[in-house]
Amino acid sequence: MADTLTPERAAERLRGLSADVRAAVLLDAAGSLAGASDDDHDHARELAELARRLFEEVDRATRDWDTEPPEQVEVQIPGGAVFASRTPRWTLAAVAKRGALSSLLLYDLRAVLGELEGGPPIRRSASVPVTGGEDLPMPELGAQ
Amino acid sequence: MKEKRKGPLSRAAGLAEGMANTVRRMQREREPRVLVYDPAGYARLIQPEARGQDRIMDVAEEMLTLVAGRE
Repeated sequence: MADTLTPERAAERLRGLSADVRAAVLLDAAGSLAGASDDDHDHARELAELARRLFEEVDRATRDWDTEPPEQVEVQIPGGAVFASRTPRWTLAAVAKRGALSSLLLYDLRAVLGELEGGPPIRRSASVPVTGGEDLPMPELGAQ
Repeated sequence: MKEKRKGPLSRAAGLAEGMANTVRRMQREREPRVLVYDPAGYARLIQPEARGQDRIMDVAEEMLTLVAGRE
């Protein structure tokens, strides 16, 4: 059976997907910490509070825009970057290394949230294990 | 029309220009900025002089400092 992603593991899953992620936190709809890549709970809560404030400030800055509320945010700062993505139920935020590829990170954030919402699990490339004794079919060069 | 064959100097200059463009693009991508994306994935820049942009940058910097302090 497929491994179901739980909120507690979502931040760690994101870090597993991208080596550029230094830390990540997941918040629930109330803005409370639901999961973190860091074992230190106090530290994770502090980061979650900042992630909540980040979207609060984004909403404040864009409230007069004639568009839908932003779903994702990217902040490039000297020394690194912050990315965050949200659904009506969850907010996932990540602090990334300098030079992290925005498009990939934003995609990973959305993919993890999608999986958390019950979407298909993220597929990872992996070599197919060869079971004992079975020979893989080999193409014959020159065969008709 | 037959394309004029480039000499080694011309090829090297082309290569250097390509590399310089890549470096410039990477530097541009890392400039301090705030981008927001709508549900369709369209990006929009919050201009540096826009209301609240500085507060967003401040919060992001706090997040980065917090994480850096743990590493």
